[in-house]
Parts: sequence; structure tokens; C-alpha cells
Amino acid sequence: MPASAKLNPLNFAIGGLILAGIAVGVLVVLMNDPSGDGGNRLPDAFDYSLEEYQKIDPALVKYRQTAEIPLEMQEPRGVAAGIDDKIYVVGKDGLAVFDPQGTEVKTVRLEGETQCVAVAGKDHSVPGRIYLGMKDHIQALDTVDGPAISWESLGEKANLTSLAVAEQDVFAADAGNRIVWRYDASGKLLGRIGGKDEARNIRGFVIPSPYFETAAAPDGLLRVVNPGAHKIEAFTFDGHLELSWGQRGLDVAAFCGCCNPAAMAILPDGRFVTGEKGIPRVKVYDAEGKFECVVVGPDVLAPNFSATTETREDMRLKPVDVAVDSKSRIIVLDPNAGKVRIFEKK
Amino acid sequence: MTETSCKLDRRSFVGIALRVAGAAGIGGLAAALAVRRGQSGELAWQLDPHKCVSCGNCATYCVLDESAVKCVHSFPMCGYCDLCTGYFQPSPIELKTGAENQLCPTGAIRRQFIEDPYFEYTIDKELCIGCGKCVKGCNAFGNGSLYLQVQHDRCKNCNECAIAVSCPSQAFSRVPAKDAYLLKIRETKA
Ligand code: SF4
Ligand code: SF4
Ligand code: SF4
Repeated sequence: MPASAKLNPLNFAIGGLILAGIAVGVLVVLMNDPSGDGGNRLPDAFDYSLEEYQKIDPALVKYRQTAEIPLEMQEPRGVAAGIDDKIYVVGKDGLAVFDPQGTEVKTVRLEGETQCVAVAGKDHSVPGRIYLGMKDHIQALDTVDGPAISWESLGEKANLTSLAVAEQDVFAADAGNRIVWRYDASGKLLGRIGGKDEARNIRGFVIPSPYFETAAAPDGLLRVVNPGAHKIEAFTFDGHLELSWGQRGLDVAAFCGCCNPAAMAILPDGRFVTGEKGIPRVKVYDAEGKFECVVVGPDVLAPNFSATTETREDMRLKPVDVAVDSKSRIIVLDPNAGKVRIFEKK
Repeated sequence: MTETSCKLDRRSFVGIALRVAGAAGIGGLAAALAVRRGQSGELAWQLDPHKCVSCGNCATYCVLDESAVKCVHSFPMCGYCDLCTGYFQPSPIELKTGAENQLCPTGAIRRQFIEDPYFEYTIDKELCIGCGKCVKGCNAFGNGSLYLQVQHDRCKNCNECAIAVSCPSQAFSRVPAKDAYLLKIRETKA
């Protein structure tokens, strides 16, 4: 090409216009961000983060994880410890039993969706019996692969979320009816605990979401979480409210969010283990309800800080469940990681 | 020309121009603009609350000055909590309606006592800008009863919804105009 053509003023002007056009185009893209890559452009007041509340002072963490059991089952929902410290896990499609070291003993498929599990101790009238909480009834299994005996349905509204076993009694926490049902070991209904009763000074259970826990304590009282009140309440088996403790707040010693704790177990010496949803953390309280320490916090139970504020159902964290064995090991069902984590005192 | 339609023209032109020019050149741009003008009302834009991640883009990417997306509330899913984490800051000073305790930056959520210990929460659509902050708060601890929806009394049913293009979660789609809301039903059993 001759040199004169390169310097032609017309070509020069066209080239300049093209370059200017590209520059304007780039500017427009940057300013308008049609693909949304530049963020939502809202002021900081519109941000929502729980990050500052998720940090836990390491000095408060007095447990360490000593084992973990990967789970094969779909939607693991509940964990319990039984005789000889065997570990029982129920999920959408079955029941898995592990020895205390985490070796699988047996896995069985179950009819219907199991929501919770409790296993009778040696002092129960049927030692070692496995009680399964289905949505509206209890199933009793005398052996892991034995036939399931279904107890009577509690009706369409029922939603059993936790079971507890005492010497002669079986208790079922029903989030749908906001009541704890008391049975004998044959499945005969003996009574209801915790319904609103002003004469007995019982406010009633406040259960905004279906996480409603109960456990039998060594002092002979039944403990029931009143999640919307952020309290653990103690009832006689006849339904008298004896005492309660717990306070709401994001502070590590309190129970966070609208309704917590979502999980509870009682150590052999009467201390409490609680599991919270929202900010996933497992903690220990003494027998009077005084905060003692953290077992595990969001650094382990939430894959990243933002996991706690996900709004998509398939990305939201599912609450943990907790159990304890005779050696005071704390067994945490972590459904998000698909595993059971076992913790022992440091 | 109203302020709304003026803004619609400017922003949608830029958005469409960029997207179409990249894909099909100037001829394609002209065709896209023609299609937009002739759009029938049989389909409408809506966001699927099960896919939405409450990123905040719904508040700022709508061609309208004030987004057509607003928060809605599924009462059957709501726990009527005293400590509603969609209404209150994560760590409120007290459970009172003072602005310092409220999560919503525009004060668009109303709290009303029903009976001990239950409260009802409703959205003031005039004040809501669709930022999704309360949706995050509700989901973090509660049942997810607060969620976002395109309001069809406001939406211009743009040929290409500017929010849909910016949505990181592909939550937007065209739905039949006669069923233009994707409502959350009760997911929790309690
Ligand atoms: S927080 Fe945002 S989405 Fe929720 S009501 Fe307020 S303005 Fe609307
Ligand atoms: S289609 Fe509706 S929601 Fe989407 S940008 Fe247009 S007006 Fe806004
Ligand atoms: S842009 Fe998408 S993810 Fe973001 S708030 Fe709107 S619908 Fe939800």
C-alpha cells in the first residue's frame, strides 16, 4: 500500500470514529452492567451478613472431633446412640447402624419417611428397642431388621420431630400439634404434655418451624425445647412444668434467631448439648442451664460464611441433630456434609 | 412521555442494543426492537422464588425507577414469630418497632400483634424496593415465607427483562400471563 494512502485524512477520521465508538461502547457496558456482574449497586445498608456473629472465640471450643462417619443415605435427619454406644442414623430412605468406631453394622431400607429416632437403653422395659418417628406415628423395631410395629396414627396434623425413651415411657414431640405425647412401651397413649394451660402456668410451645426436641433427663424430668421461646422446659411425666432456662440472642451463650435450639441431647451427668440452626453451632450447658462451652461452630458446620444466608432451598443449610453416648462423646449429624461427626473433650 | 417510559426507552435501548449488537449486528438490533413493540401480553416475566438467591439485582436492574419486583409474604408458611428475623436486625436492641431494630432499610415491613406470642408481618408495597434483604433474614433462621415476585400491576413486560439478564441464578422466565405469579406454598410441616 502506498504511504500516502495510510495518511489519508478520511481514513484517519474513520479510524478515529471507530475507536471512539468502541470506547463509548465499553463505557456504556461498564456503566450499565447489563449482565449484573458488577454487583447489585445498592448501598451497604442493604447488605445482609451474619459473618460477625459466626466467629467463636477458640478458647470457648473445648471439644475436638475424633472420628467421622460418611453417610450414604439420602437426607439424613436424625441420630441417636444406643446400647453399647452403637450409633443409629435415620434418613429419608432408611436406617443405618454403626459401631462406636464408625464401622457400619447394618443398613436397612424402611417403609415411609423416618423423621427421628431414639433407642431404648438397658433400663427400658424393652432394652435396645429402636423407636422411629414417622410423620404421624411411631414405629417400634425390636431388632434392626425385624418387623416394624406401627403405633396408632396421631392424625394428619401430626409431625413427629423427636422421640425420647425413659424406663417405662416413650415420648414423641409433635411439632404439628405443638404437644409432646406420652406412651407406654406397648404403644398405649398415656397423656399429653405442654399444651397451653394457664391454670398450670404453661404458655404452650411456640414452634415456628418443624424443629421440636425432647429428651429424658437422669433427674427423672422430661426436657422439651420451646424453640420460639428460646427455652428448654422441664416437665414431670404428668405434665407439670417444673422449670425452664435459656435466653435468646446471637451471643454464644444464648440461642439465636427466631427459634432455637433445633436439637438437644442430655449427657449422662445431666448436662445439655444443644444444636442451633441459622448460625450452626453445638454447645454444652450445665444441668442448670449455664453455658459451659462450644463443641463445634460455623467454621466447621457451614462450608463458608455466606452459606448461612443462602435463600435457595437447595443451598440452605439444614440443621444438625445431636446425640450423646455413655462415654459422654457428642455425636453430631451434619446433614450438609453428609456425615456424622464424633467429638470428645479436649 | 412519562418519566417511566422515558427511562424504559433509554435503559432498554442500551441493554438490548448491547446484547443484540453483539449477537446479530445492527440488523438484528432493529428486528429485536420491532419485536418488543409488538409483544403480546400472553406471557409475563416472573421470578421463581425457589431459584432466587436474593442478590439485590431485582432492586436495581429493573428499567423502572422503582423496581417492579417487590417482597411478598406467604402467611401459611410464616411462623408469626415475635423475633422475626426478616423484620428485625440480626441483633436487635429490643423487639420493638423502632427503626434502629428493623432490618428493612426502607421500613417497608409492618409488624402487628395478633395474640400472645404471635405477630403478623405485612409488606407495604409502596415502600418496598425489592432488595431482598428481608428475604435473606427470613431464610437464615426462619421458614422462608418472605420472597420476591414481579408485580404485574407495575411490570412493563419488557421484551427482554433487564433483571432477567442480570440475574445470577437464572430465576427469571416467561410464564403464562394468566398464572403470572410463582407463589411459594407451605413447605414446612409444623
Ligand atoms: S428489605 Fe427490601 S425486599 Fe424486604 S420489604 Fe424491605 S425493601 Fe422490600
Ligand atoms: S420486565 Fe418488568 S421486572 Fe423486568 S425490567 Fe421490565 S419492568 Fe422490570
Ligand atoms: S436478580 Fe435473580 S437472584 Fe437476584 S434477587 Fe432478582 S430473582 Fe433473585
